[in-house]
Amino acid sequence: MTTNKIEIKDLTVNYIENKRSFNALHDVSFGVADGEFVSVIGASGCGKSTLLSVLEGLYAPAGGTVQIDGKELHGTGTERGVVFQHYSLFPWMTTRKNIEFGIKQSRHDVKRSERAKIADEFLTKVGLTGFGNKFPSQLSGGMQQRAAIARALAMDTEILLMDEPFSAIDAKNRVILQELLLKLWEGDGSEPRKTVVFVTHDIDEAILLSDKIVVLTAHPGTVNEVVNVPFERPRRREDLVKTDEYGKFRNRLLSLLYNDIAERIGGDEVVL
Amino acid sequence: MTLKKRYLRITHLLFIALLLIQLLPDRSTKEVFTGSLIAFAVGLEVIVFVTSSFIKKEESLSLLLDITGFVFVVLGVWSLATAKYNILNDLLFPAPGKVIHQFTEDKSAIFTNIVSSLGTTIKGFLIAAAVAIPLGLFIGWSARVGGAATYITKFFSSIPPIVYIPYGIALLPTFKSVSVFVIFLATFWPVFAGTMSGVLGVDKRIIDSAKVLNVSKPEMLFRVILPASLQQIFLGCNQGLSVSFILLTSAEMIGARDGMGYYVKYYSDFGDYTRTITGLLVIGFVVIAVTFLFNKLQNRLLRWKR
Repeated sequence: MTTNKIEIKDLTVNYIENKRSFNALHDVSFGVADGEFVSVIGASGCGKSTLLSVLEGLYAPAGGTVQIDGKELHGTGTERGVVFQHYSLFPWMTTRKNIEFGIKQSRHDVKRSERAKIADEFLTKVGLTGFGNKFPSQLSGGMQQRAAIARALAMDTEILLMDEPFSAIDAKNRVILQELLLKLWEGDGSEPRKTVVFVTHDIDEAILLSDKIVVLTAHPGTVNEVVNVPFERPRRREDLVKTDEYGKFRNRLLSLLYNDIAERIGGDEVVL
Repeated sequence: MTLKKRYLRITHLLFIALLLIQLLPDRSTKEVFTGSLIAFAVGLEVIVFVTSSFIKKEESLSLLLDITGFVFVVLGVWSLATAKYNILNDLLFPAPGKVIHQFTEDKSAIFTNIVSSLGTTIKGFLIAAAVAIPLGLFIGWSARVGGAATYITKFFSSIPPIVYIPYGIALLPTFKSVSVFVIFLATFWPVFAGTMSGVLGVDKRIIDSAKVLNVSKPEMLFRVILPASLQQIFLGCNQGLSVSFILLTSAEMIGARDGMGYYVKYYSDFGDYTRTITGLLVIGFVVIAVTFLFNKLQNRLLRWKR
């Protein structure tokens, strides 16, 4: 047996809406190795966010198991840090207080007096030096997500779960944030990389960041294919997108995503 | 702001007009205390004039000057109708100078009564808030049975708290404690209802965000749900506070031996309408001051909202 950090096996999730049960995920299985960056992509409604909320511990599966370090997952846990699309930060706390609060929850060894110092360190890392006293509402969406990333990193969890963190950000800032995350995650090799599960619908984002991409198919959500990303690290967007391999790889992912959709439309026509 | 905009304002003309009115001969048969009125008007004008040189925002300056101007107009018309032309019955309508004089005469008694009224209000209000907020948080959060609790709250809050007074008198040893009890009831239900509706309305994404941080139950209640529902809680508190003043003064008129409601009732029973009007105006100022301070607190605690 391989020793994956996260092992998802035959995961089935049902959603109940208006008293009807929907099969959101069906027999989903894949593993995430320690220090691996895995993206989950798929069309909207494929259950990718549902998958993440199971990993977050917010939603209980109907069948199958999720194991972390070989132990079955039950509920939320401080070994996992989360960045959501919205409201990762509490609006009534300043960015510094938000980060301090996160540190307090996950790192019991850190003294109260040291929390502010660590918070400021991470604010600097994400380019928010001097914004510690601002409330989230005083920051742009991009800056809020920087602060959310700073908190997740300051919490120093082994696993990072990111649920479309950049989807609500404008195109220009999204690229900047992707590069920031890439830089922070790749690091300088002095520390082990964190294990990341990253949900997105942006193919380029997934390729730039990931070691491995899980492509989901919708209704119900199943794993279409797990693709290894063949590009060397450290990666630079400008260098990467110029290469022919990038175009080929991107097309392959696109066809995995859209063949599925095309088949579906074809299938519907047959029914009609 | 130009000097002209800052100092050449109609309010100052109204001040001069008010002084000129005082030059007219008095026709009232009663003493009118023109000196007290002039002293008050000059004092107000000096304070406003000095303050206006420090105010930075133009809207704030205009607000201050407009309100002051209104006061000068009221005082002018009032003294014309009473002291100067004696149009109104001078027993029922004392001249403004007389009210001001009465206030300075009675100020220690008035102060004692204000302290008594405020003490009662604050006691009842704080006890109610201290019970209603945690209870609302706890019931709203743990059960999430908003429906039943909401109907029960609706029932109790639909009983006008003043009807508890007779029963309160039977239950409690002193009239003071009855007043505190009634204010407690008047504040408790709106604050409780506000807290519950706040808790039930907290964005699920905020709760999820707290859950993934593995917060403890007390942290969830007091560091997440409480601030997230704070705006609704303040709505309830504001409602409770304004009802409290109405109730308190009413209660004081029924059976108390001090407080501003007592002051007004007591002297109007003796036909001393100068003191009655003094009392009314003082109550107005006290309520405004308390509401103002409470709003300051609210804005401070909710400053994270845009």
